[in-house]
Amino acid sequence: MKIQSMFSAIGVVVLFFAVANPAHAGTVSGKASFSGTAPAVQEIDMNADPTCAGLHSETVTTEDVVVNANGTLKNVFVYVKQGLEGKTFEPPATSVKMDQNGCQYHPHVFGVQVNQPFEIINSDSTLHNVHGMPTQSKEFNLGMPIQGMKLTRKFDKPEVMVKFKCDVHPWMNAYAGVLPHPFFGVTNEEGVFEIKDLPAGQYVVEAWHEKFGVQTQNITIDEAGVQTADFAFAG
Amino acid sequence: MPGQAPKLYSIKKTTVAFAVASVFLLISLVWMVLQDSTREWKGWQRKFMELSRQKASAELEAAGKAVDTAKLAELTKQIEAARTQSKAHSDEITRVKKEIAKADVDTLKARAHYQDLKQFQDSDRYFLEEYRAHHEDEQAKAYEALLAHRGPEFSKAKADLESLEAAREGLQAKLEKFTGAEETARREAAKLTQAKTLLEKKVKKLTFDWMQMILNAPMLDFIRPSLQIQQIVLENLYDDYYFNKTQKVDRCVTCHLGIDQKGFEDAPQPFRTHPRPELFLAADSPHPLEEIGCTVCHGGSGHSASFVTAAHTPRDKKQAEAWEKKYHWHPMKHWSEKMLPLNHAEASCAKCHAGQAEMPEAPKLSQGRKLAETFGCFACHKVDGFERWKVGPNLKHVQSKLEQDWIIRWLQNPKEFRPSTKMPRIFHLRNTSDPGSASKNDAAIAAIAAYLMKNSEPIALDNPPAAGDPQKGEALVKELGCLGCHSAAGVSANHHGPELSGLGSKVKAEWLYTWLKDPKRYHTETRMPSLRLSDEEASHITSYLLSLRNEKFESIELPHVKPEVVEQMALNFMTTTKRQVEAKAELEKMSEEDRLEYLGGKMIGQQGCFGCHDIKGFENAKQIGTELSEEGSKDVEKLFFGFVPLEHTRQSWFFQKLKEPRIFDDGKELPYFEKLRMPQFDFTDEQADALVTFLLSLQKTVIPEAMQNRLDLREQQIEAGRLIVAQFHCQGCHTLDGKVGAVREIFEDKGKAPPILTGEGKKVQSPWLYKFLSGPTTIRPWLTYRMPTFGFDHAKLTELVQYFNNLDQVPPAFVHEGVVPSTEEELQSGGKLFQMFQCIKCHKSNPEPGLSASFLAPDLAVARERLRPDWVLEWLKDPQTLQEGTMMPTFFSEGQSPVPDIFEGDAAKQIKAIRDYLWIFNPEAVSSGAPSAKGTQTPASAASSSATA
Repeated sequence: MKIQSMFSAIGVVVLFFAVANPAHAGTVSGKASFSGTAPAVQEIDMNADPTCAGLHSETVTTEDVVVNANGTLKNVFVYVKQGLEGKTFEPPATSVKMDQNGCQYHPHVFGVQVNQPFEIINSDSTLHNVHGMPTQSKEFNLGMPIQGMKLTRKFDKPEVMVKFKCDVHPWMNAYAGVLPHPFFGVTNEEGVFEIKDLPAGQYVVEAWHEKFGVQTQNITIDEAGVQTADFAFAG
Repeated sequence: MPGQAPKLYSIKKTTVAFAVASVFLLISLVWMVLQDSTREWKGWQRKFMELSRQKASAELEAAGKAVDTAKLAELTKQIEAARTQSKAHSDEITRVKKEIAKADVDTLKARAHYQDLKQFQDSDRYFLEEYRAHHEDEQAKAYEALLAHRGPEFSKAKADLESLEAAREGLQAKLEKFTGAEETARREAAKLTQAKTLLEKKVKKLTFDWMQMILNAPMLDFIRPSLQIQQIVLENLYDDYYFNKTQKVDRCVTCHLGIDQKGFEDAPQPFRTHPRPELFLAADSPHPLEEIGCTVCHGGSGHSASFVTAAHTPRDKKQAEAWEKKYHWHPMKHWSEKMLPLNHAEASCAKCHAGQAEMPEAPKLSQGRKLAETFGCFACHKVDGFERWKVGPNLKHVQSKLEQDWIIRWLQNPKEFRPSTKMPRIFHLRNTSDPGSASKNDAAIAAIAAYLMKNSEPIALDNPPAAGDPQKGEALVKELGCLGCHSAAGVSANHHGPELSGLGSKVKAEWLYTWLKDPKRYHTETRMPSLRLSDEEASHITSYLLSLRNEKFESIELPHVKPEVVEQMALNFMTTTKRQVEAKAELEKMSEEDRLEYLGGKMIGQQGCFGCHDIKGFENAKQIGTELSEEGSKDVEKLFFGFVPLEHTRQSWFFQKLKEPRIFDDGKELPYFEKLRMPQFDFTDEQADALVTFLLSLQKTVIPEAMQNRLDLREQQIEAGRLIVAQFHCQGCHTLDGKVGAVREIFEDKGKAPPILTGEGKKVQSPWLYKFLSGPTTIRPWLTYRMPTFGFDHAKLTELVQYFNNLDQVPPAFVHEGVVPSTEEELQSGGKLFQMFQCIKCHKSNPEPGLSASFLAPDLAVARERLRPDWVLEWLKDPQTLQEGTMMPTFFSEGQSPVPDIFEGDAAKQIKAIRDYLWIFNPEAVSSGAPSAKGTQTPASAASSSATA
């Protein structure tokens, strides 16, 4: 009994420091390296919709595998998979944006928090439909016929990953990691991601890639500072 | 006094005899009373009373805890305080009470006086009105005077009464000032403990006290015992005692006391609540206890009030043993209507619910019935109410399809070729495996194969134009929809048609190619539809399917058939109609080949192959199996158990027969042709069990028609449609009638799966549906699956259209549905929205070749012929709710239109305008930029920007 209450006291203290004291929160960052041969870059043929074709003077390539100049992978979604159970995080009021521009989704891979506003924009002068295909939240399929049109949605259940497609333009797709917390990141043109303000604790971090699957790592955050978690994908 | 006359009897002896007799009578009386008072059911009723009491006590305890004690204490305090306070004013209270009593008397008097006067006034007024109406002025005047005269007195009486009443109320208020607080607190307290008080009463009633003891005491229990037999008398139902019909009386509730009461769901038997009260027993359920009783569904002897004589049936051996120990249970030998074991209780549903293909609340019975249809039980066994249909392929052209050797290998054991086949094994079974029978089996098989080859007509076969590509063929099998019925290419979502394996070891290329192109050429009645394959597609599929071989099967050695065995068997058949000598002479005249064919024909007749297959020469042959129309009520004595140690119940016999059909020949010495003939289907235990339920459901009709569940016209039409839907396996692809389309699971992108047909009746117009079902055309060009051409006749097409309409409760209207013409403004707005939403971007009438699938939405020019106008409105609102996963987006996200300047952004009005525009839509006008119908100017810029920009 005594021991139990002692533990719970410690738990409260830990929780207090973990949540309330940003001095005891850390950052996880790392790289997604790539080895082996990347699949040949695929050109997108947009001739089916002349409006789309007209928006590009150069050839457009698919974004499923983007190997950066420094040999790293772009569009790897890294997030805290375990270690935050039982904690709740208020969704931010600022929205995550996904733009349909040049008949492609921007960004191609991104994260959004459960119940965080998620704004979809159509910057093109052609008809797009955003067909979100979550399996946990309700599926939706929104027609966006008017340039500059914006619609806002929310996901009410976590899910990694939710796929989006455009039924009008079959080459268009994007992926969103829907999470109940804000601890996620996507690798950039340098192949680097960063997850900030992660409370002290032990975590399982997962890296997801559209073609190369998932990898996990265990990390411990015990004091302020940067914890490195590198992932190596192979083609 | 004359001497004592000699007596005719001895007094002493008589006295002794009387004494003995009276002692005997006394003993038997005591014994009788004792036995009566210790009857089994009385014990159960006492136990139930105790159980109920415990339950009520527990509830009472809970209710006691639930009482807000703090508040109660507070109220008690209030009551006390109020009482002491009122005591202080006791004199005053007494005085007020006295005054009230006096006031009551005064008021009563005043009211009587007032009412008296009122009567006179009313009466006078009546006469005044009457006379005035009849213009008898004098009389009227007299009454008028009277009224006027009594007027002041009447007013005074009323005023007096009112003032007295007011005074009385004042006194009451005065009293309440002293006692009101106490009363209110008392009422509050009672409310607080109301539940508890009620339960207290209940517990008291359920306690077996001395009063109850007296009422239920031996010899006294005729007056008003609390323990008594409970029974349900069923007015319209009778028990058949062979020569006597008696009204059905169910006394089960004498012991099953909690059966229709809530709260005994976890009680030990016999007190447990019946499951699903909303479906059974409850007064407002479809099966109220008072009307249906117990034994109609469960069987058993309803009159009996003891465990054994009620003919309870144990679930299994273990339960039987437990019952023997606990209740001295033994089967009721001479009561044929034993209770159905619970796992077969669904069998009784069929008593009232005949004519329904599927009963969702009786899944096991439905499964059994379906299995009986699938495995062709009705091919050999006549069963009233079930159509006989040939489940196997037509063999009248078999020589165009198969080699004789293949048939021989197949008949040895069909499962060697295809483990999933429905064809049962007929030869080399338990009772025909001895060496003598084995050689006869081989001869019979060779003879049947010979007969079938000789007695079949070849059909014209087409050659594939060129050798196909097996890889392309495999892809086509997956893409075109073969998987909607067959399991093939490693995918098994459906098992309706045969599994497509090993065909390379079975059929010839020309036959397969011809069959794929036009199945009806080989077999006019086949359920295999045409997928409208091109020559190229058909040859790819042919070469793929032929590349699948079953080498193990091919290597099965053909048995050596001894001519003397064939002759002996043929002779055996011939001597049934001819003398031995004549038969021998005739056989000698025959060639060996002819003898084989002769024997083959006889064997087909004897084994009943024609039950499932069309075979030349057996067009009018009679079914060979026992009629099963009343098998479920067949006397157990009529079932032949032979030497098999088996429980003598119908269900155990049926189960055994289904699992090992020839077992009842064990230990018998029978000639080859007199052995049992039911073939081996290799049913799993689960399948056999479901079939047993189905067999038990086949009973003599005992329920009066009025009580049976009669289907109305709509339900009948739905059932007729369901039969077709099951036969042609529509749900293999489509979600329909509550079942998810089986192939949907294969599709990751549900938008590419065959369409959901839930709500189809509401969606499409009947004439279009009829036309489409008779000759499907492409509606959704992006689907690779093809709606097959089934070749339905007029009757089936009509039934299907009615089925879809009835499912959605819309009247089947075989007329084209138009829309009420809109105003010019509406139509123009519709056209404008049509352009703004770029509908034509995907919905093209003549899509250029090479476009990706997603640009190929349904042709909108067909919409006004195909769709119901109301459905289009629903569809445009939110397509996802009607067709999950559809590629059609909503343009009115959350009911909001993205176009605020048409109809002020009113989504409903915009949707209607688009719909109305569709009904006059002219695709050529749109694509050419010319004005469309009715002068609605097409904003050509928008159209051309999407087409050419």
